[in-house]
Amino acid sequence: MNSAAIASHENYASHENYLSSGWNWRSWLTTLDHKRIAILYVVTITLLFGIGGAAAAMIRLDLLTPHSQLVSIETYNKLFTMHGVIMVWFFLIPSIPATLGNFLVPMMIGARDLAFPRLNLASWYLFVGGALFTIYALLAGGVDTGWTFYAPYSTTFSSSHVFAAATGVFIAGFSSILTGLNFVVTIHEMRAPGMTWFRLPLFIWSMYATSLILVLATPVLAMTLMLMAIERTFGIGVFDPALGGDPLLFQHLFWFYSHPAVYIMVVPAMGVASEIVCCFSRNPVFGYRFMAYAILAIAAFGFLVWGHHMFVSGQSAYAGTVFSLLTFLVSVPSAIKVFNWTATLYKGQITFQAPMLYALGFVGLFTIGGLTGLFLASLGLDVQLHDTYFVVAHFHYVMVGGAVMGFFGGIHFWWPKITGRMYPEGWARFTAILTFIGFNLTFFPQFILGYLGMPRRYPEYPPEFQVWNVLSSAGASLLAFGYVLPLIYLLWSLRYGARAPANPWNAKGLEWETPSPPPTENFHTTPVVTEEAYAYSRAQAPHG
Amino acid sequence: MTNRADTRPMVYILVWLVLLALLVVTVGSAYLSLGWANTPLNLAISVTQAALVMLFSMHLRSAHPLMKIIAVIGFFGIALLITLSLFDVLTR
Amino acid sequence: MPTRARRPPMANGDTAVAPQFDDAEQQRTASNLGIWIFLATEILFFGVLFAAYAITRVRFPEAFAAGSRLTNLPLAGTNTAVLLTSSLTMALGVHAARHGARRALVGWLGLTVALGCAFLAIKAVEYRFDYLEHLVPSLDFRYAGPQADQVELFFYLYFFITGVHALHVLIGIGCIATIAVMASRNVFSPAYFTPVDVTGLYWHLVDVIWLFVFPILYLISRS
Repeated sequence: MNSAAIASHENYASHENYLSSGWNWRSWLTTLDHKRIAILYVVTITLLFGIGGAAAAMIRLDLLTPHSQLVSIETYNKLFTMHGVIMVWFFLIPSIPATLGNFLVPMMIGARDLAFPRLNLASWYLFVGGALFTIYALLAGGVDTGWTFYAPYSTTFSSSHVFAAATGVFIAGFSSILTGLNFVVTIHEMRAPGMTWFRLPLFIWSMYATSLILVLATPVLAMTLMLMAIERTFGIGVFDPALGGDPLLFQHLFWFYSHPAVYIMVVPAMGVASEIVCCFSRNPVFGYRFMAYAILAIAAFGFLVWGHHMFVSGQSAYAGTVFSLLTFLVSVPSAIKVFNWTATLYKGQITFQAPMLYALGFVGLFTIGGLTGLFLASLGLDVQLHDTYFVVAHFHYVMVGGAVMGFFGGIHFWWPKITGRMYPEGWARFTAILTFIGFNLTFFPQFILGYLGMPRRYPEYPPEFQVWNVLSSAGASLLAFGYVLPLIYLLWSLRYGARAPANPWNAKGLEWETPSPPPTENFHTTPVVTEEAYAYSRAQAPHG
Repeated sequence: MTNRADTRPMVYILVWLVLLALLVVTVGSAYLSLGWANTPLNLAISVTQAALVMLFSMHLRSAHPLMKIIAVIGFFGIALLITLSLFDVLTR
Repeated sequence: MPTRARRPPMANGDTAVAPQFDDAEQQRTASNLGIWIFLATEILFFGVLFAAYAITRVRFPEAFAAGSRLTNLPLAGTNTAVLLTSSLTMALGVHAARHGARRALVGWLGLTVALGCAFLAIKAVEYRFDYLEHLVPSLDFRYAGPQADQVELFFYLYFFITGVHALHVLIGIGCIATIAVMASRNVFSPAYFTPVDVTGLYWHLVDVIWLFVFPILYLISRS
């Protein structure tokens, strides 16, 4: 497991911790320690992010010119499909829950581990298994259906490796379910004495709500993919219009999962944002209970709106109206959260360390993404905007500007706790700002392109769209730097970073009351909680 | 939150007999020409049978309220899926 | 401690509490909550098939009725009774475990396995009849009446739903048999019978699912 960039275990902190206790293949691949499993996930999703990112790079390079000069049209279809499949299921969905969630959920509630450590390890193996099937599909020639696998193209007409990719996602789905199950049971049953529900950090609330969605929505995806794959294999099924089947049935079933799935991706980032914003403004969160209830409301309402992906698909106008109304409703709890993060900053003692830059970026970009979602929720506007780059820009603002920024913010915030090392603050701030600029340069032009009518999933476009495409691709190159730089300086910090104290940010939360890196059992004695969450006072500033 | 209440074997046997009786009723009712009412009747019997199994054999009667919520939430989710999807299909 | 891969079952029926839990009570409660969440996922998993069925049937009521009339009600009705009985024997097994009656427990579990196997055997016979009557979509489907394509869709759903259910029955039989072997080795006691309890809950759910599968496939229009 040693690579040149990772310090050998002898160099770790002088106290015994979860990283120093055993360092060979077996101790990592058969570990039951939630913290090590979190790191297994970090490594895995980083690799997969690289693959998905490479697909994106190819797409943006190909779109520099109005004609698809870099890749064939068939290859282009496969690129955006694999980009979507990998980024959605093999990066975004596991990102915060399986890495930061796995590491922090037991620590934040004062437990020694999750409720079911063996299920946790099984979850990682299932994830890797699913990824292998999907990578096989990629290497065998790719999939060209789009990440949404719509019937009847996926079931009848596509000659690409749909079955393998669907199998990969199916298996990864069980990884999700087990993680969610583990978190729900752990949060219900294993909180330390004094850790009542309304003293929990909002990150835990966000993990809880995310886990509810993971557990309730993912089984629907699993069966839907199975129906699609079996129909493809046997040449008969309920989605086949030639037999009287209904392709829209596939869409209803698919989006019943996939809309809540987007909340799996963004709600954890909301939890991270709350932790960071409070710490770096030295304020308790504004409206704690509203924040907690809003998280639950987002998870619940998220199940009611799936038809907004189908406004122009042939769904009835009456159903469209109902879904449009419900979609407007789901924006309310998200808006409450944005107001409350803002209010938390008010009269705070704000400092701008890298985690805070990412968190503030999250709040702003998520707001833009969310507001543009309302454009798309309006039936009339969606007729114009559906399947254009406006949609692509919308979901990248919430997924990348939102969820990925939140992920990076969390990685930086908890890096000292996880690794026992401080990352280089200067480089991290520079990268956060570079990422913010690169992101906006990549995706804001896409709102304009969508408004002007450029369809998504097209490798060719009219010449008058080229300037916006070139701006977008230029932004993508900056964004690429923004993602590669942390890989370099974070790995660098593992060997050369300053050793981190237990609480470098002077943050509130049980995870900060244990050494960095933590001992294997997290706490030498079970903590007893006596104060409310975010009991910050302006007297103590964060260090760092 | 563990289920401390114990159920006597006779209760399981009685529930079993009721379930078998309901099976006879549901099969028998299929041979009666009730028009549109056949299916709702069959489903109502299914729900009753399922409720009996869940309350008695699966100890839900004496379980913590959280288990009761979890037990039914799956059904509610599917009901939601079917209802809104049917609403679309029937109003196209 | 957290790297220990399994908690050793102890011959006298006592159990060690896994290190992440504070006490046996917390371990029991967590296991119970965990299995119920898993059961909820199974309901949602099967529920998609019910949704596919409902939406397709609403669009082709006559074809589905015609298809339903061609299914084997006597065999399926018998199977329903078999599964309900296996639920009874399983419940009595869990009861025996709670009271430390080892031999009764093994007996009831064995009976449950036998009834589960009977269910699968009857289903195999049923499938064979379906095959002989040329009702297997894609493989060998011949239907002379109207809306033949939609009748074929009915049978597609019929095989899909009963097939996925039968797979769950098979997995259940495997679990119960494993538990029965463990029981015969005196692993369980009134203080520790969680695997029996958990397996029992799974088995009852497989029964509950069948209670919905049966009428929607076999009882649409028999009058």
